[in-house]
Amino acid sequence: MTTVTAALEGYTQQLRNNRMGLWLFFISEAFLFGGLLVTRFYLWGNTRPELDQTIGLIVTGVLLLSSFSMNMAETAIEHGDRRTFLGGLAVTAVLGLVFLIGVMVFEWGLFPAIYEGHLKPGDNVYGAVVFAMTGMHALHVISGIIFIAIVWNLGRKGGFSPERHWGVESCAIYWHYVDVVWIFFYPALYLIGTVAH
Amino acid sequence: MNNSARTKAYGRSAMIALTLAVLTIIEFYVAISLDSAIFLMLIALFKAVIVVQAYMHVSRLWSPEGEH
Repeated sequence: MTTVTAALEGYTQQLRNNRMGLWLFFISEAFLFGGLLVTRFYLWGNTRPELDQTIGLIVTGVLLLSSFSMNMAETAIEHGDRRTFLGGLAVTAVLGLVFLIGVMVFEWGLFPAIYEGHLKPGDNVYGAVVFAMTGMHALHVISGIIFIAIVWNLGRKGGFSPERHWGVESCAIYWHYVDVVWIFFYPALYLIGTVAH
Repeated sequence: MNNSARTKAYGRSAMIALTLAVLTIIEFYVAISLDSAIFLMLIALFKAVIVVQAYMHVSRLWSPEGEH
């Protein structure tokens, strides 16, 4: 066996292990988010708080769009298109920030000068669940943006190639996971049930 | 890799995003008109499967070659 073949086989095995490790991490995270979803249905039943539907639809659209730009970035590095790769990552990070700002300003009401939020975490069961769910999700969005910034910086310095880009792949998969969580949170928070007054 | 393969890959990515956008709009209108929690969660599950399959490449977990 040549040194090159041995190195490639080593990388392939490492890649398999890395993927398995990442998916096991996602399964452990699913218990956390699943627990929050169960909490929502147990405590709210077929009711929901009055949240701004337009904001909900916009932030959901922004997050879906960010998944698209992230996939573009990953596809680009797979094909050696570094410019689209870096651009896609930058757009994803910006969209992630827009999502975060949307949630913080319009759902949490962190900046009353801009928008007066009508839910507080300690007010009632609706406020507590909304803040727990969006808060835990926002934490993952923040870590995803930091992850993207690290990958973008490495890519800018010439890191990653079409043959070796586990860092990009893992970052993309993590970001899509954050999107998958929101896919379930969006109907649970905004759409299911009748508005409780 | 050639440009046509790259363009095709970008097009596929855009088609998936468009499908997810359409499903989100359907979800919104289902919530307004039907108010069915089960139907809404089924649409969410369908969207999640699309993302897991197409964007998260779950099938790579059991691909023998282990390539990107």
